[in-house]
Amino acid sequence: MERNKLLPLAHLWAAFLCFLPAIGLGVWQMLMRSPLPAPADDPNLYYASVTAHGSIMAYVFPTFFAMGFGYAIAVSALGRPLHGEKWAWAGFFLAVIGTVIALVPVAAGRSSVLYTFYPPLVGSPWYYLGVALVIIGSYFWIALMVLNFRAWKRENPGKPVPLAMFAITACALLWGWTALGATSEVLFQILPVTLGWRHTLDAGLARTLFSITLHAIVYFWLIPAYIAYYTLMPQAAGGRLYSDTMGRVTFVLFLVFSIPVGLHHLFMDPEHGAGFKFVQSVLTFMVALPTLLTVFTITASLEIAGRARGGKGLFGWIRALPWDEPMVLAVGLSLLLLGPGGFGGLINMSFAMNAMIHNTSWVTAHFHLIFGGAVVIVYFAIAYELLPRLIGRPLVSKRLACLQLWIWFWGILITTIPWHIAGLMGEPRRYAIFDYSDPVAAKMAPLVILSVIGGLVVLSSVLLFFYVLLRTSFAPVAESMLPIRYALSVNPPATVPPLLNGFAFWNVILLALVLIAYGYPIGQFFFLHNQNAPACSLSREITK
Amino acid sequence: MSRGNDPSRLHNPWRFIAFAIVSAIVVVAFGLGFLLLPRYQGSHTPSSEKDSMYHALGFHTHANASSSIQPPLKIPTYIAWTDTTIRQAANGDPKRGEVIAQDCTACHGEKGLSTQPWIPSLAGLDPLVLYKQLDDFRSGTRLSAPMSAIAQSLTPEQYADLAAYFVSLPGLPENRGERPPRPHSSYRNHDPVERLIYAGDPKRGIAACASCHGPGGYRIGAPALTKQNETYIDQQLHAFAQGTRANDMNIPMRTIAAMLTESEMRALAQAYANEQPQQP
Repeated sequence: MERNKLLPLAHLWAAFLCFLPAIGLGVWQMLMRSPLPAPADDPNLYYASVTAHGSIMAYVFPTFFAMGFGYAIAVSALGRPLHGEKWAWAGFFLAVIGTVIALVPVAAGRSSVLYTFYPPLVGSPWYYLGVALVIIGSYFWIALMVLNFRAWKRENPGKPVPLAMFAITACALLWGWTALGATSEVLFQILPVTLGWRHTLDAGLARTLFSITLHAIVYFWLIPAYIAYYTLMPQAAGGRLYSDTMGRVTFVLFLVFSIPVGLHHLFMDPEHGAGFKFVQSVLTFMVALPTLLTVFTITASLEIAGRARGGKGLFGWIRALPWDEPMVLAVGLSLLLLGPGGFGGLINMSFAMNAMIHNTSWVTAHFHLIFGGAVVIVYFAIAYELLPRLIGRPLVSKRLACLQLWIWFWGILITTIPWHIAGLMGEPRRYAIFDYSDPVAAKMAPLVILSVIGGLVVLSSVLLFFYVLLRTSFAPVAESMLPIRYALSVNPPATVPPLLNGFAFWNVILLALVLIAYGYPIGQFFFLHNQNAPACSLSREITK
Repeated sequence: MSRGNDPSRLHNPWRFIAFAIVSAIVVVAFGLGFLLLPRYQGSHTPSSEKDSMYHALGFHTHANASSSIQPPLKIPTYIAWTDTTIRQAANGDPKRGEVIAQDCTACHGEKGLSTQPWIPSLAGLDPLVLYKQLDDFRSGTRLSAPMSAIAQSLTPEQYADLAAYFVSLPGLPENRGERPPRPHSSYRNHDPVERLIYAGDPKRGIAACASCHGPGGYRIGAPALTKQNETYIDQQLHAFAQGTRANDMNIPMRTIAAMLTESEMRALAQAYANEQPQQP
């Protein structure tokens, strides 16, 4: 196997091998929260499990996936070998080691702090160090993406950078900036306590720093899926991308607006005044813009493909689309789920409406719907597209792949819709167990059971996914495989404005926005009264 | 795109337009958040632009609080878990503590293991717990005639020394906040006492005992109860319930104990006293 193919392959497998146990844990967690009997019925285990599930799904799985996809794009879209492959492997192994280091204390029950940390709760230092290693590994990737992006621009002056590469570089930059929030929280607030140097920390400051990461990380997950929307799907549908420029504007908007908005996760927190909360609420609405642009552009691209395939009439083109292509099906289903997911998000980010659903299961259901329904379903399709080309063996069955995507779609719907409703009824989040003999909780019981059934459907879809991947891995080698091809736009750009061909200007705008939106909310902690609180360690040894 | 061949002509207007749009959004957001929103939010209408800015930044003027008559503050304890306090409480000298502890043996037993059921065993007790209780006896927020007199005769350094000595003795198992996974610790368990210890009772607002007192949970300042004297635990629950003991920060124990029935208190005391410590 060619070496440049081994790199993305290793990343893809690392991502999905972590994904599988995390899904299993998720199903068990649904069972624990339900009135049904659950094996190993222990709330402490539940929190350990949620920590593992969240850490894998939020940090490890998407990071490996984005890294692998990024390396594949850098080689295939730029048409040149990857600069600095050795460093890429170094980053990969750092992230693998970090994953193991983080998950061992979690499995031992010493770091049940959930993936969002929740200081003043603190766990074993190894957990944070492991997560930090995963992030450091991904910084190698960020540097390599920027390096390869710039090298290509130097060699091809005046030419537009291919959209896929432009987008994955935006994704890498976004992750690079946003990860600084959680990193500084861990470095300056949590680690000094968990290493025993200090006994107190400022929970408000720690939460504010984390909010810098907490929202933009969602777009770090989402952008690889959007890259497939823009560059892989139109090709698979047999059409063209409606507009290349629209794609560039979308990814630039994500880069600029997804970070100075994190305060909307802290609307109910007392450490901030209403003014900055509202400012960030307004900025959050700006992040809806690129998604609306995308929905328009991708629907237009689908229509172009549908009409090119002979679809007629107002809606006839929809039927003419090749829904037996996993990539087309995945993007179609993902767009469908993006609808309810996105509107739910608009409720969460609204300054006043947030109060209705804050800290209820609604929020958990929302991010499962967005991540599972709109993002991971496209990750599956990307894997179906990428993996056969990396190993030179054709996908064993498109029919099975499509079936898997359909099962996933229904599984996610059955899991998350009742979950949303239970949240509206007031079911709190982050609870291990519910007393269903309480009449208030009893009303939610049927909904929770429905969610468990959805979880089982999701699990069966994942098993089918692995079956297809493994069958493909052992299929006979094809004589020749078409290389990955990125969709042309209707009017392929000969030149683009330099602003949409690089990130220097946007980085400046982004930093200015972050300073304006976060300068005071973070700065206030340094001149207001000392608000340190004793850290609440899960195990006794930390306060020794 | 007809003029797209000349990059320099495209460059300048777009840069300006992008900058202008982003600035406009920020200005509008600040105008709404800092000038308009405070006027319509809450009962306190700002009197001036400056006032509404302060409101939006999170400074609140408590104009009414000082003029109205307030009940006297009831302070449950003078201990706050700051870095300094934790450091002082955790760094005692067990050698010096052993000498002072000669005076404790009459009631708390030879090696910190009390033989009288209403007096707590101190061997193995968490140093922060012992330090806080002695300080509370001294300040009078926890009442006991002999203990108040004793605590007043000692210095905070001596509290720490005593704490270091007692924790070094074998007795009450240390609460490390860990336990092996233990099935049936949720509401699915049919034993009401086990359910209270590991899952609590949300209908009455009772949190699980184990989440602070162990096994499997640890909270700063909360003693481990495993193997503690049964009568002592029972009596303290009663004292919390009736408010005769009121030195719990943020009133968790007074709230919970007031919700417990007589038989539940007895059963909990019995369950903790007879609980076998688990190997982590």
